[in-house]
Amino acid sequence: MIPLSWYLTLAAVLFTIGLYGVLARKNAVIVLMGIEIMMNAANLNLIVFSRFLPQTRLSAQVFSLFGITIAAAEVAVGLALVIAIFKMMKTIEVEKIEQLKG
Amino acid sequence: MGLFFVVLSLMTLLGALGAMLLKNLVHCAIGLVLFFIGIAGFYLLLQAEFIAAVQILIYVGAVATLILFAVMLTENVIGETTLKGLGRNRWAALILSLVVGGVLIKAIGHQTFSAAQVAERVSTREIGRSLLTTYVLPFEVISILLVAAMIGAIVIAMERNKRMGE
Repeated sequence: MIPLSWYLTLAAVLFTIGLYGVLARKNAVIVLMGIEIMMNAANLNLIVFSRFLPQTRLSAQVFSLFGITIAAAEVAVGLALVIAIFKMMKTIEVEKIEQLKG
Repeated sequence: MGLFFVVLSLMTLLGALGAMLLKNLVHCAIGLVLFFIGIAGFYLLLQAEFIAAVQILIYVGAVATLILFAVMLTENVIGETTLKGLGRNRWAALILSLVVGGVLIKAIGHQTFSAAQVAERVSTREIGRSLLTTYVLPFEVISILLVAAMIGAIVIAMERNKRMGE
């Protein structure tokens, strides 16, 4: 049986990788991918707790379902925004998108 | 058990690193798919079969396709126009994410959960029941959120088209 802390450590490492991608990469699509990786790491934690802590058995799984739904909604709106920004400014480098007024 | 854990860990870590560090956007998307499948494997390992199926359907099926579409609609995927590399604050990003990761792992070292016994597995029937009884209000709210996001995505992507046509 794999101990709980191994799973938690793996999720923390995945979260860190996603955070680095969000902060360091220039491309807006990659930034969205990093957010997805962070959300998946958090969801993995929820499922691990549902397996290891009997009092969160059902609620953690339902909560992770909600998390997956919110991530899907977020990525749909985020990619629509990326496409709109690309059509307007001809770039999706986050460092070059500096003006608020279109 | 242990072998599956090691294989799935390698798969998710390599997928995540590939998605974050590779130069070509399509390769990044493929790394992300590898990562999503690895996470679904973890859900199977933890006996959450329904969540694993949902993960495959939504992430591998829908989100990866959406991201690939966005890549193809925004950048020329072959050739020089693929955006290269890291931004100008890469070192600050590295330090900050290492600090956050260090804090998280330190906190895991101090956790006091009593995980002596393992919870029995949750059946899909139970999840469905609780979604329509205990969690019926969040369920409805999330449906509204999904509809709003869908309409929002369509409107955001469409309005620009109309203006460009004029």
